[in-house]
Amino acid sequence: MAEMNTSDSGSHKKGSKKLRTKKMSTRVDLTAMVDLGFLLITFFMLATTMNKPKTMEVNKPAKEKEEVKEPPIKMSKTATLMLGARNKIYAYVSPDEIDATTELQLDSLDYSPTGLRKFIQRRQKEVQEQWGDKDQLFVMIKPLPSSNVKNIVDVLDEMTINDVKRYAILEPNDPIDSLVALQTRQSRK
Amino acid sequence: MPKVKIPRKSTSVDMTAMCDVAFLLLTFFILTTKFRPQEAVQIDIPASTAQIPIPETDIMMFQISPDGRLFFGLDDQITRLKLLQRLSDHYEITFTPEQTAAFKLIETWGVDIRRLPEFLEMDPTARAAFQQPGLNIDTTGGQSQVEDLILFSRQENNKLRIAIKGDKTTEYRHFDRLIQALQNRKVNKFNLITSAKSAQE
Repeated sequence: MAEMNTSDSGSHKKGSKKLRTKKMSTRVDLTAMVDLGFLLITFFMLATTMNKPKTMEVNKPAKEKEEVKEPPIKMSKTATLMLGARNKIYAYVSPDEIDATTELQLDSLDYSPTGLRKFIQRRQKEVQEQWGDKDQLFVMIKPLPSSNVKNIVDVLDEMTINDVKRYAILEPNDPIDSLVALQTRQSRK
Repeated sequence: MPKVKIPRKSTSVDMTAMCDVAFLLLTFFILTTKFRPQEAVQIDIPASTAQIPIPETDIMMFQISPDGRLFFGLDDQITRLKLLQRLSDHYEITFTPEQTAAFKLIETWGVDIRRLPEFLEMDPTARAAFQQPGLNIDTTGGQSQVEDLILFSRQENNKLRIAIKGDKTTEYRHFDRLIQALQNRKVNKFNLITSAKSAQE
């Protein structure tokens, strides 16, 4: 490919003596060029970012100026996840009505498939049995200030994995939340 | 016995085809490469199973460092210039043409808006070495610089989408302050930037 036919025809200008130019090979040593090419390829391959970051969409409930009375959701359809420090989740299901005799079961979970995922799946099953539809489950995610971004991403991710249709990121304003925060010695604000 | 003559073969191989391939690949990589922009702070993003790729254009990016410093960036240079003009009007700061040109080229920054001129005055190497204190998210006195940035940028380009890039270890309270600012400007929808991971079974 890198050769050309260099047939020298018609080089008889001066009749008597043939002026013969020396035939030079047109073959060029391409080794160095190939080396250079691969060097640059290596550079660009390393410099390029192949897997682009993904995004996760978060919708927060709109802040309303005046208090809009929403129909209160049955607490037995909910599950509350409080995200605390050191990768802990405090999960509870608050009963429909609270009185002095109410006992609350507080679970301490981690982000592993056997922790959080199991809890959500158990809750989905319970809601399924009680209400006949597991999509009725409403998960309230309440991050405490000491939790971190990874925790939130993990929880939201878990919602997608378990196909939880309804969830929201809320502030831990509930009286139970302050109790939980107090018990776990974490500030709520 | 007759000698068996092994014909001497040339050891040089024709490199042309290999050269062609090398340069073809090189061209491909040159064209597809998008260099990683110089970042104001190192951020290690969390992983998720989310599959939505980050949009190419019209992005307003907030970055939160592990220690809670907040950084701001627009992807579009024209919007950057318009934003600077708005900031200059609102905060009554005048920027020299050199400072404006410098601002146009900055991917992300995190300094108090009032300190922008001196930040832009630095030469690029000094700026890269400069430890940026983060945006001023303080809301005392009824005005918030972060809210102004959100408002002005969105007014100049209403297609802007908001992306938040937080480090894995950034505490929620830092994150929450940004979200409060966004919600005060009626932004209830934003994107968290994560890296891809497969759902573990």
